[in-house]
Amino acid sequence: MFDVGARRDVSLAPPPRAAAAAAPLLDVAGLTKRYVTRDGTLTALDAVSFGVAPGEFVSVIGPSGCGKSTLFNIIGGLVGGYEGRVAVAGASIDGPHAAIGMVFQEESTFPWRTVQENVAFPLEIAGVPKPERLARAAHFVALVGLAGFERRHPAELSGGMRQRVSIARTLAATPEILLMDEPFAALDEQTRVLLGDKVLKIQQELQQTTLLITHNLTEAVQLSDRVIVMTYRPGRIKRIVDIDLPHPRDSDVVGSDRFGRYVAEIWHDLREEATRGIEDSEAQARRGGPAA
Amino acid sequence: MGATDLTPAAAATGSDAGDPTRRQVLALRAAIVVALLVAWEAVSASGLLFRDVVPSLRSIAAALMRVLAAPEFYGHLGASASEVAAGLAVGGALGLLAGVVIGANRFAADAYEALIHYLGPTPKIVFFPVMIMWFGVGAGSKVAMAAISCFFPIAISAAAGMRAIDGVLIRVGRSFGARPWQMATKIYLPAMRAPVRNGLRLGLGVAIIGTLLAETKLSNRGVGHLVIQAYSTFDMPRMYALLIVVFVAAIGLNALIGRGERRPR
Amino acid sequence: MNDASLRASPWPARAVGAGSLVALVAIVEALLRAGVVNRFVIPLPSDVLAAIPRVVAEENVLRRFVQTTQEMLWAALLLALVGVAAGVALHRYRMLKLACETWIGAFAAAPIVLAYPLFLVIFGRSAATIVAIGFCAGLPAVILKTTEGLGATRAVLVDVGRSFRLTPRQQFRLILLPAALPTIFVGFRLGLIFAMINIVGVEFLINFGGLGQLINEMAERYDLPGTYAAILFVVLASVLFFDVTERIERWARRT
Repeated sequence: MFDVGARRDVSLAPPPRAAAAAAPLLDVAGLTKRYVTRDGTLTALDAVSFGVAPGEFVSVIGPSGCGKSTLFNIIGGLVGGYEGRVAVAGASIDGPHAAIGMVFQEESTFPWRTVQENVAFPLEIAGVPKPERLARAAHFVALVGLAGFERRHPAELSGGMRQRVSIARTLAATPEILLMDEPFAALDEQTRVLLGDKVLKIQQELQQTTLLITHNLTEAVQLSDRVIVMTYRPGRIKRIVDIDLPHPRDSDVVGSDRFGRYVAEIWHDLREEATRGIEDSEAQARRGGPAA
Repeated sequence: MGATDLTPAAAATGSDAGDPTRRQVLALRAAIVVALLVAWEAVSASGLLFRDVVPSLRSIAAALMRVLAAPEFYGHLGASASEVAAGLAVGGALGLLAGVVIGANRFAADAYEALIHYLGPTPKIVFFPVMIMWFGVGAGSKVAMAAISCFFPIAISAAAGMRAIDGVLIRVGRSFGARPWQMATKIYLPAMRAPVRNGLRLGLGVAIIGTLLAETKLSNRGVGHLVIQAYSTFDMPRMYALLIVVFVAAIGLNALIGRGERRPR
Repeated sequence: MNDASLRASPWPARAVGAGSLVALVAIVEALLRAGVVNRFVIPLPSDVLAAIPRVVAEENVLRRFVQTTQEMLWAALLLALVGVAAGVALHRYRMLKLACETWIGAFAAAPIVLAYPLFLVIFGRSAATIVAIGFCAGLPAVILKTTEGLGATRAVLVDVGRSFRLTPRQQFRLILLPAALPTIFVGFRLGLIFAMINIVGVEFLINFGGLGQLINEMAERYDLPGTYAAILFVVLASVLFFDVTERIERWARRT
C-alpha cells in the first residue's frame, strides 16, 4: 500500500486496464458472525460468500439490520471472532490489511488538520518526507474536486466536501481495495448523485477495486458492476445482479430504461427484506424491548 | 483469523476485552491505600523530614481519638457548622434569586451577569477585612464570608439551569394559560432540580472553605480556629487529626448531595 | 423567559447595570458624608479612589503583581507537567482510572487550602508554600479533564487510525492527543483559576507574597481606604486573568 516505488504511479495517467484475473482480489468465503446477547445468540451474517475482481465496483445492498456494517467492519479488519475466511490476493487477513482502505459513514476528517494535512495523513505515517507528501496529497485533493481548499479546515467545509476529504485521504494511501460504508448517507439526494458521479469517474480512472456498502438502490445501480442483495437478519446473500450498463457512466444513466429495470428488479428482492425488517422491529417493540 | 472479538474503538482507547471486575478495582484501591500508609510510616520513622512534620500513624490516630472524645470539640464543630449553614442559607437564597432573574430576563442578564461571571473566580477571603468591619469579629463575619463565597456558584448554576429549560416546556405551560406563579412552581422549579443541586454542592464546598479560612485568620471558636491553634502550639498530630475530620466531613457531605442527584433518573 | 427572536442591543442594559453600580457608590458616599453610616465601617469611596495612586506608588503594586504572577507561572508549569501526565496515565491504564477517578473527584471537593498551616510547616513561610497549595488546588481539574478528553475521542476517528494500522503510540500522538487538546485546555484553565484563587488567598492568610499580602498589610495598619484599594487591585487582577484565559481558551477551541 505504501510502496514508494508503487505499482501504480500516483501522479501519472491511469495505468492500462488490468485484465480480469481468474482469482478475485478480495475473497469472502463462508463468513458467519454471531453475537451473544442477553436474549440469546444473534446471527448477523450467515455463510456470506462472494469475490471482488480487480478493477471491479461491487455494491452490497440490504435493509437496516442485514449486517452490512458488520460485513464492513469484518472485511476492514476491525472486528474479529467470526467463522469463515476473508482473503486479499489469496492471503487471509488478520486485522486491518494494508491493501484495504476504509471510508467510514460518519464524519471522519480530523478537525485539527487542514484538508491537505488530512489527505497527507497516510503518507505521513509511511514516512514520506513533508514536501513530497504535501504534493502528493494535493494531487488527491484535486482529484476529488477540492483544489483550492487545501489550507482550509474541515469545519469550514460542507458535509459533502468533508466526505470527499475522507475519500481523498483513503485514496492517498493507494489501497488496492477501497471499502466504503454508506459514505454518502448523510448527504442530500442531489449532492449524493453528483458525488457518486465523481467517485465513479475516479474509480474508472484509477481502476480502483471498490466495495461499497449502501442502502441506496439508485446509488448501487448507478455506480456498480455488480450488486449483491442481502437478506434481513441473519444476513445472507439473496441475489447477485450483474449491472450491464455501459462505461463510462455518469448520472444521466439514472434516467435510462435499463437503469429503471435494474432498480425494479433489485427493489423486488429488497422490499421483501425491508418488510421483514419493519415487522421485526414492530414485534420487538410489542415485546417491550428497544429495537436492536 | 478472527482472534479477539474487539469492538472497533475499544482496543485503541486502552481497555482490555472485558472490563476489570469490581473486586479487582477494590483490590487495587486497597493496595494503593496500604502502600500509602506504609510509605507514610516509613518516612515518619526514618526522620527524613524534620520531626513531627510526618508524625507516626499511631500518634495521629491517638490525636484523632482525643479530638473526637473531647466535648469542647463538638462545640467548635457546631459553631463552624452553624456558620456554614447560615451562610449557605443567605448566600443560597440570594444566589438562587439572582440566578433565576438573570436566567429569565435578558435585560437583567445583560446588565448584571458579567458582574457575577467575573467576580465569581476571585478569592473571596480577601474580602474578610471588610466583612470584619461590617459584621464584627465574631460569627457574623464568618457567616458573611460563607455567604459571599457560595452566592456566585449558586447564582451561576441557577442562571444556567433557567436557560437550559427546554423552551418547549415553557411554551406548553403558556399555551395552557399558566400564570407566572404556576409557571414558577410547576415548570421552572422542577426543571431546575439538577442544576440547583449541583450549584448547592459547589456552594457548600466554597462556603466551608470560606468559613474555616476566616476562622483560621481571626476567631476564637470554630474548627478553623482549632487548626491554627494546633499550628501555633506545633501539635502536628492534632492538626492532622483535625484536618482529617474536616476533609471527611466535606467530602462526605459532597458525596451525600451527589447521591441525591443520581436517584431520580 | 424572554423570547427575543430579534436580539435587542445589550448596551442599554449594560448602561443600566454600570449606572446602578455607580449610583450605589454615590449613595454610599452621600450616606457617609451625612454621617448616617460610620466611617470606620466603610471609608469614603472618594478616599478609596484617592488611595489608589498612593498605594500604587508606595506599596510597589507592580512588583507585587509580578511576584504573584511568578507564583502562578510555577503552579501552571507544575500543573501542565504533572496534571496532564497523570491524566494520560489514568487513560492508558484503565484499572488505575477506575480505582482513582472518584478519589480525585473527591479530592477536588476537599478544602485543601485549609491545610495551609501544614504546608507552612513543611515549606516554611515562603513562595514554595503558596505554589504548592495552588498546585494541589488546581491538580484534580487538570487530571480529570485530561482523562475525559482522551476518552471522549469519537469512535470513528479511532477507527480511522486502526484502519491505517497505527501503532498505539502513533494512535495516541496523531489522533487521541489532538482530539483531546480542547478539553485538556479547558481543564488547564480551570486548574489555573483554582490555583489563582488559592494563591492569592494564601498570600493573604500567611502574610507573604504579592497582591494578597498587600491586603493583609493594609488591613493590619488599619488603613481603610488602602485596604479597599488593595482589594480593588486584586479583584481587577483576577478579572483580567479570567478574561484573558477565557479568550485564549476560545481561540484554542476554534483551531
